[in-house]
Amino acid sequence: MNTYILAIETSCDETSVSIIKNGQEEIATVILSQMDTHANYGGVVPEIASRMHVENITLVIEETLKKANMKMDNITAIAVTYGPGLIGSLLIGLMAAKTLAFTYNKPLIPVHHIAGHIYANNLVKRLEFPLIALVISGGHTELIYMKEDYSFEKLGGTLDDAVGEAYDKVARVINVPYPGGPLVDKLAHQGEDTYTLPLPLDDNTYNFSFSGIKSAVINLAHNERQKGNDIVPENMATSFQNRVVEILTKKTIKALKEYNVNNLIVAGGVAANKGLREKLTEECQKNNIKLTIPEIKYCTDNAAMIGAAGYYAYKLGRRADLTLNSKASDKLN
Amino acid sequence: MKYLYIDSATATLVVAIIIDGKISFIYNKEVGKDMSSEVMPVIEQAFHQAKITPNELDKIFAVNGPGSFTGIRVGLTVAKTMAWALNIPVIPISALEAIASTSNQDVNIALIDARRGYVYAGAYDRNLDPIMEDKHILLEDITTEGTFVSYDDFDAIKPDIDIMKIIKKHENDNCVNPHNLNPKYLKLTEAEENLRKKND
Repeated sequence: MNTYILAIETSCDETSVSIIKNGQEEIATVILSQMDTHANYGGVVPEIASRMHVENITLVIEETLKKANMKMDNITAIAVTYGPGLIGSLLIGLMAAKTLAFTYNKPLIPVHHIAGHIYANNLVKRLEFPLIALVISGGHTELIYMKEDYSFEKLGGTLDDAVGEAYDKVARVINVPYPGGPLVDKLAHQGEDTYTLPLPLDDNTYNFSFSGIKSAVINLAHNERQKGNDIVPENMATSFQNRVVEILTKKTIKALKEYNVNNLIVAGGVAANKGLREKLTEECQKNNIKLTIPEIKYCTDNAAMIGAAGYYAYKLGRRADLTLNSKASDKLN
Repeated sequence: MKYLYIDSATATLVVAIIIDGKISFIYNKEVGKDMSSEVMPVIEQAFHQAKITPNELDKIFAVNGPGSFTGIRVGLTVAKTMAWALNIPVIPISALEAIASTSNQDVNIALIDARRGYVYAGAYDRNLDPIMEDKHILLEDITTEGTFVSYDDFDAIKPDIDIMKIIKKHENDNCVNPHNLNPKYLKLTEAEENLRKKND
């Protein structure tokens, strides 16, 4: 018997619905991005995001079923991102999922957003355990150890800004438009590492901290401008990116060695970063580690990854009742 | 005819099932911040007690604002998703009209606190025909005189919504396609207001 999960993801500024077969096969996905709207404000405006989600949610559900050429009767269960994320945005997907589960009398499966990012890799290739997952995005920077399906042990995470957040802030300092991350990455490939910046939180833990290097970039730019010097955006991007990539790679490789694991998966929007992809690929080859990084379309927020994770949650018997609420933050377990 | 009525625009959740002109289930209680976890269990209970299933419904009446932005969206997402799923129409109802249904005077003015001196206000006659359209307005700028009705801390009578009056008034309204059922906030977001000021 095949299992079809209809998954809904509305944790930030993408309204997305997907149908996933047996946790691995993407039947259809629709993603409605609000990025163009939020670009007018230099970042995601939560109330606007919520307003757009409610306007589009049923359209996106309908479009997904059409694309899949399926009816709700063919769906085994409904999976939904309940958190973490923007509470008002999450609520739209959550209420829609609860309504579908009730109306069609289908099981409701709560999925943690980070579990989704990790399982995006399962759509590329079946996860092999044990593994270490490096989850990096605008809202997350975490190292997670997985012994088996749906077992998550957090080894460490950011103590302040997420890595993607730091990229967006640095982008602003060097006058790169929102969303700055991908453009900083591009600039970094054109510049040289000429600026002195600290290696952020270079200690024995698996934690990260990016507020220090962000401040260092801001201060450096400020001082240079006061002296009447222009900063060279390319070189600043290269210097910043080199430090970030170095610390992410260093702590990830350390985790792989200490836990004696040879599978690494990378997940989240920042997994699209070319500089990081290159460095991790190189280090993994050197250390004989199998590296999986999903295609770019699975790195950013999408419901396909929630459907993939939702399948394994479903298999384990995880269910939510109709009181399920959204959570701005919640431990992954 | 079997109808579902949902109003989660204020801190008071109202859910009702109406079968052939009679209320067979009603929930009308203050739930405050628990709206998102309360709505679906109450709806489940509604169908259970009214002894009908969702696919027997003919129409959904859904309050689409004004009021709490989040509250409006919670109820409206349920209404539009269920109506879409069942392929039945939805009829949007004003939160202010619902509040005004409490009073049977010539002029009944519903108020919802919108903070910083502002209110959402609408005036309706005893037949729920509008006298002053729903708007976001400074309380002191309301010139219409009549009986005030509000859940909030104003010199007003407390609402006791007359669901049958609302249903009878709107039963034959033009229906809205669930995809097009959207909130009436009557107020831009702060970010939009600021951007507008900047561009002026």
